[in-house]
Amino acid sequence: MNQNRDFYAGLVATVFFAVILFVLIPIYVKVPSFIPGFAPPPDMWPRVVAVIGLVMGVLALVLAFPKMREASRDRVEGFGNRILGNKTHLMRFAGILIVFAAFVYGMPLIGFVPATVLLLGVLFIMTGNFERKFWMIGLAVIFPVLLYLLFTEVTHTPFPKGKLLSANISHLTTLI
Amino acid sequence: MWNELLYAFQEVATLPNFLAMFAGIWGGVIIGAIPGMTGTMAVTLALPFTFYLSPVTSILLLVALYKGSTYGGSISAILIKTPGTASAACTVLDGYPLARAGKGGKALNMALISSCIGDFISNISLFFLAIPLATFALRVGPPEFFMLMAFSLTIVASISGRSLVLGIISACLGLLLATVGEDMYGSFRFALSEDMKSGLGMVPVLIGLFALPELIKMIVFRPEDNAAAMKLGDNRLTLAEFRGSIKSICRGSIIGVILGAIPGIGPSTAAFFSYSEARRTSKNGDKFGEGEIEGIAASESANNGACGATMIPLLALGVPGDVITGVMLGAFMIHGLTPGPLLFQNNLGDVYALFIGILFSSVFLFVAGKATAGAFTKISRIPQTLLLPCILILCVYGIYSIGASPFDVTVLLVMGVVGFAMMLLNIPAAPFLIAFILGPMFEDNMRRSLAISRGDLGVFFQSWISWGFFALTVLFVILTIRREWKKWRDKRDATNASAS
Repeated sequence: MNQNRDFYAGLVATVFFAVILFVLIPIYVKVPSFIPGFAPPPDMWPRVVAVIGLVMGVLALVLAFPKMREASRDRVEGFGNRILGNKTHLMRFAGILIVFAAFVYGMPLIGFVPATVLLLGVLFIMTGNFERKFWMIGLAVIFPVLLYLLFTEVTHTPFPKGKLLSANISHLTTLI
Repeated sequence: MWNELLYAFQEVATLPNFLAMFAGIWGGVIIGAIPGMTGTMAVTLALPFTFYLSPVTSILLLVALYKGSTYGGSISAILIKTPGTASAACTVLDGYPLARAGKGGKALNMALISSCIGDFISNISLFFLAIPLATFALRVGPPEFFMLMAFSLTIVASISGRSLVLGIISACLGLLLATVGEDMYGSFRFALSEDMKSGLGMVPVLIGLFALPELIKMIVFRPEDNAAAMKLGDNRLTLAEFRGSIKSICRGSIIGVILGAIPGIGPSTAAFFSYSEARRTSKNGDKFGEGEIEGIAASESANNGACGATMIPLLALGVPGDVITGVMLGAFMIHGLTPGPLLFQNNLGDVYALFIGILFSSVFLFVAGKATAGAFTKISRIPQTLLLPCILILCVYGIYSIGASPFDVTVLLVMGVVGFAMMLLNIPAAPFLIAFILGPMFEDNMRRSLAISRGDLGVFFQSWISWGFFALTVLFVILTIRREWKKWRDKRDATNASAS
């Protein structure tokens, strides 16, 4: 398990730093023309760090190979098998990503408080432990509202009301 | 000096400071007592609230949380065999057998007393070691600072994980993330969106990296619920038991101070080292692991002894020794104070106030621990399935309240996912964090040195201080590689032996 982890860590690091070095730095790190020749340009430091990261990533990959070969004497486990073996975990992880993305995009629409109530409720459901249902329901509603009151009263934070909600309320006010 | 000390005493002895320290100690003990919640989490969660406090009050609150959580870890270690924090892992070995034998209260009392003594010795050492170190650091220029930071990052990268290579990868990720935003020449780097032009906030990155992965891990892997807690039972700690452990307490405190003052080592290593030393030298060494109260004294005095000492390199050199002091460095900066030798020149009053406040917090730790040991046993039983989602919501509100920016909340959630991925891949998070915090200073000192020398790399080797740090860095890398090579060879030999 650890040997495979080292391999994947090396692989991820190599790919990540390669993308940074060959794709992102040329596009997203601009060098202004007014910098004198001897002064280090803005892209120098990210390049140095990315090169070190890339070398370390490759080194991690190389170092993981002998360990993996040793481990494979006992049990050969391919990447595909590992994914299929952890399908439930992957589904749950994907679920979390979807929930987080929905919160980020949904919060400006429905408002901060309703979005956090929904987020907390969904997270409680995702824990899979329904022994304390009433606690979960109560906390999902009360906790975000209490925090909202605390932060608006103490730090005077202007939380987003939500486009849909404020549009509806203004629509109602006009009707009245 | 005495006038300044008196003034600092007056500055500390205020109701808000005392309240902050009490709240910090209690909050820290509660959080430390809950398995899965760490001191880092406690300190990072409190960070947004410190924006509204004075610099001294906010640092005292964070230090109190750190100390409280380090002690709190021993409560769940003793009563439910689950160390609340990594530094309490050794306490489980003797604490839980004592609790099973109906002596949980005795074990908790020893943990509290040895924690307070370790803490006090550590605070005194902070007072005497930080000022000379800062005076020395005044002779340090940009090239020397660059070398010093390279040295600290190497130590952190090699110690905080199982592999030096993965540690350096983690540090590179942190350094790269720190470059996002506006450069010193006014050009933008990695500004993939409009929000990224002003860089990534330190607080969302910190909280995302350390508070969220536990929640994601719980949802993805769904571990078993908390174990049942033991009753406190026999509560009295006899004078003979205390006298028998005093040597271990003193030695543990000194080990804690020495190891805590070296960047990257921290309370967990100090506790393990002190425990093994006590086991080696004690006449009851063979009883360690079966419920020997001296074992608790050794590990608890060392882990709390390291707490104050981790502030020595932070205050004197501006180099955080571990994740928590990294967060504290952020808190200092938010309040316009830059830790390092200049802090002692420009804000000596604040430094003295901090020292005195930190000494007070040892007393508060004793009072809080003594008064509420029974109540904390219930807290350690709160199920994580209820607790961790609520913590995420608390983080979301806290982060949003800093700058009313939805982008910060997005950074928080993304960093949580990144932290979880790093956890899965065994990439240590501590080098990432320290590199992210030190990154701008690291780069700034390097670019300034190169600008001064008009691009000549020899500038980094012009003084004996630079050479000293360079030699230490190389020595440390060689020692780490040697250690890893030996470990690999031993494992290979063991595998070959079992195969034949």
